[in-house]
Amino acid sequence: MRDDPVAEVLDNLMKFDEILACMVARRGMIDSVMPSSGTDSFKPEIYEVWDVLKRTMDSQLSVISEFSRIDLKKIDFELQEFDAMFYVIPETENALVAIVPALANKGLIDVELERARLKIYDLLKEENNQ
Amino acid sequence: MDALLEEEDVSATEESSSAVDKERPHVEAALGLTEKWDAREAGREVAETALQQLSGKPDFFLLFSTIHYENHGGFEEFLNGVWEVLPEGTPLVGGTVAGFMNNHGVFVQGATALAVSYPHMDVAIGYGRNTKRNPKKAAKQCAEMIKKELVNSPYKNNFLLNFVSSAELMKIPGQGYKKVIDSGFMSKFVTLVFGLSQYLIQKGPGREDEIFEELIHYFPSHNMILGTSVDDYKGRNNYIFNNNFLLKNSLSSLGLQTNLDVTVKSTHGMNKTNVEFNITKISKDGHIIKEINNKPAVPELLRILEWPEDFLNEKTMFFRMLYYPISVKRGNRQIPVVMPFILKDSIVTPCVVEKGKVSILTVSGINLLDALQKNIEYFDGTIPEFGFFSTCGTILQTLGNKINLIRMKLLEYFKDKPFIMVFCAGEGTYSPTQGINYANMSYNTVIFRQNKK
Repeated sequence: MRDDPVAEVLDNLMKFDEILACMVARRGMIDSVMPSSGTDSFKPEIYEVWDVLKRTMDSQLSVISEFSRIDLKKIDFELQEFDAMFYVIPETENALVAIVPALANKGLIDVELERARLKIYDLLKEENNQ
Repeated sequence: MDALLEEEDVSATEESSSAVDKERPHVEAALGLTEKWDAREAGREVAETALQQLSGKPDFFLLFSTIHYENHGGFEEFLNGVWEVLPEGTPLVGGTVAGFMNNHGVFVQGATALAVSYPHMDVAIGYGRNTKRNPKKAAKQCAEMIKKELVNSPYKNNFLLNFVSSAELMKIPGQGYKKVIDSGFMSKFVTLVFGLSQYLIQKGPGREDEIFEELIHYFPSHNMILGTSVDDYKGRNNYIFNNNFLLKNSLSSLGLQTNLDVTVKSTHGMNKTNVEFNITKISKDGHIIKEINNKPAVPELLRILEWPEDFLNEKTMFFRMLYYPISVKRGNRQIPVVMPFILKDSIVTPCVVEKGKVSILTVSGINLLDALQKNIEYFDGTIPEFGFFSTCGTILQTLGNKINLIRMKLLEYFKDKPFIMVFCAGEGTYSPTQGINYANMSYNTVIFRQNKK
């Protein structure tokens, strides 16, 4: 999944101060789509915990892989000082994943992530139709 | 002969009615929208997208933006971009908001505008400065500007849109910006300097409730709506727009006199519980609840709610306290308010409160949707020309992306007529028939319609 328009959607999300990292990922973190500058665009506070976050995220992506076909839409978990928010891309086993601080204003972020999820869905659908 | 005359009468009536319909002036109302990040480009785009839908110059321009342009070029640049496009002299009011909704979607980043053109409308704008320091003076300053311009207007339907700078947190030495101050020493310090900080550096509650009450004295026969400028709920900074001025700690108002029908309505989804207490001690300025049932406020509240001691902290405040609003007394009214800020054992409220009996209220997502439905049903059966809503940002926080359910309901009513809903931190309406409604977690609506007569 190397898709520039999707990376642009992620680049847009990274402009929000409270979004520390984001990607479109699936189980095993294979073929994840990162923002255009990859993990370099992640906010520095995440680097210390990135490895443990990645492992925890992957376990959730396994759940998504199993339950996305029965319309699992969203998973959240809190780890240390961070929240990981997973928005399942409809009709796929992929999820838009965003890491935010535990104190983040999640209501506002939820609105933006939902919009991003729908944009990514449309982009992936267009790619499949081509 | 009589039958013939009757026929002629009916025909004349139909013709004149049809002629009147043809002559009825047309309201042009258009939405602008931008999701650009660069401030200047965003300013240009939000103005362009609105104006390209109008056949002539707008008679007024409402402008609302999220806080992000502060760090992406700055709001001076944002307004410069708007004024590159907007005709000079167009009355403009607005400010920063946590998010907004319009016919196109719900947005927590970007800007929106409503541009209106209509020949039978007189418009004036005004502003008042130093709202936290002296709310009465700010209201007076603004009211005088508007009265001066509208004094000779022949139109009978009056409206005032008021946008006030909301609360800004004071930076606590050694602690930064906090919603919960649990140090006894620091909370005493903050309580002591609370009033001083409002006066000197204009940090603290927005005092929009006091301004609103004062404006009603100047305009008792006006329908009014109140909203507040806010950032993304960090409480650090917010801005007011008035023409090409970028203002802090200010009031910006748009006054209209028109032959359009103007109706306002407030609703909220809160329900009383059987949990009650008495506010027995408050600060001199009425913004801090110090004692409940003659005991320190916070521990007593936790006891009443059966919450453990550490249940309220910086992390949990937003998700817990905001969903237990209280109904407080203010004169002969009951006002539902949230409790956004804790000073060790005291509670800071967003508006002035009085001693007396208080009920704990609850609200759920379903209640919030029902409250919006009730609001729109008030206007049922009528066709709007355009509408504006000031709504509490806690509704956006509670519903998250489910806020789109509200947009669906609004689209059913407005269809292709434009509306904007802004998410604030302090809102209300006033009309001579309904009185004043100031309430947190509420929907506050103004709908403009062609007069049926």
